[in-house]
Amino acid sequence: MAEQSPTEADALMSAYLDEELAPEEAAKVEKLLAESPEARAELSGLQNMLKLVKALPEVVAPPDFYEKVARKIRRRRVFSMEVLWMLILPFQVLSVVLILVVAATYMLLHLDNDPSVKLEKDPTAQLPPPEAPPAATPGP
Amino acid sequence: MVWSKVSPVTDPDPSAPPTPRVVDLAAVVEPDEPEPVSPAADDPNLTPAQREEAARRAEQDRRDRRLVRRLKEGGDERAFQELVQTYQNRIFGLMLRMINNRQEAEDLAQEVFIIVHRAIGTYRGEGRFYTWLYRIASNTCKNRIKYLKSRNFHRSVEIEDSPQAQLPAAEGGAVVTFQSQVPGPEATVEGKRMEVIVQRELGALDPEHRLLIVLRDVQGLSYQDIIRITGLQEGTLKSRLHRARVALKERLAPYLR
Repeated sequence: MAEQSPTEADALMSAYLDEELAPEEAAKVEKLLAESPEARAELSGLQNMLKLVKALPEVVAPPDFYEKVARKIRRRRVFSMEVLWMLILPFQVLSVVLILVVAATYMLLHLDNDPSVKLEKDPTAQLPPPEAPPAATPGP
Repeated sequence: MVWSKVSPVTDPDPSAPPTPRVVDLAAVVEPDEPEPVSPAADDPNLTPAQREEAARRAEQDRRDRRLVRRLKEGGDERAFQELVQTYQNRIFGLMLRMINNRQEAEDLAQEVFIIVHRAIGTYRGEGRFYTWLYRIASNTCKNRIKYLKSRNFHRSVEIEDSPQAQLPAAEGGAVVTFQSQVPGPEATVEGKRMEVIVQRELGALDPEHRLLIVLRDVQGLSYQDIIRITGLQEGTLKSRLHRARVALKERLAPYLR
């Protein structure tokens, strides 16, 4: 393996352990193992380590795992609707208030410009005198 | 006590405030890519064991596709329940081996299925559901580890806290003899102790290395599945997996005889 780059050597050793090598690559590794005690020691150490790792017991999820997932999904659905409603509500209130303010302002301005309404409010106020008719032009 | 050695990414301090679980779907859900057709169960080039595995896998894929269709089209909760129950042990196992804390692993595994439920509409059915699920799980897990690291959480692993369990073989600690795998009270105790040690040393690896070892050596996934889950090139996977194994072997060396 000395003539190979470390990456290539790594890949071969790993794949050899997993029986993932093409026959000619596997033959290369086997030749190396036959010639190099260091390579044999490395392979043996890796095999021992793998025996340990593979012996880790299978893990089992708690029996109520699905129920917890379903509960969380339901809770989040309700929560997200509540949050949405809480977020929207102030804007809805603000919109209504804004519409009322605009309407009231408009009405007030409009009433101030209407003379008949002024008279109703203040009967002493004089209506402006009617415009004088245009003077008759003297005939020739 | 040697047990004070803590893994850099393990469990949150129980006294720490609850951490947020706001998940950015785009960060963990990737579109499923078309996958090459698996070898047919009747392929004469396969060994009987490979043929059996191919048949089992094809049946599982068909079943998953049916369940996903029912969930996508009609929001069928029974279909979702079946999917969860099919994969809950594997996803929980992945999280437990990666995070090394039961409660945290359970929460994370639940989170994965909640994401699946939310994002099922984005699953196009072009790849296998199984690899799509594992991709979500590994992304969720990596994000969580990054988050825990950024919060600088430290905690010793959940193990039997006997000082002797921590000592290397030369100092009278646990020793791996493969005869100890023969059932018996002593073997059981020693097996448990070794499990704790292996889990602790696994937890001390770089998360990328840890993920590859868990997927390949603990859960037994094929190279092709790991490539689809992690997005690594085949050559990169092989060399990175080997580096991960060498790192773990070195960490376990004091306990190996």
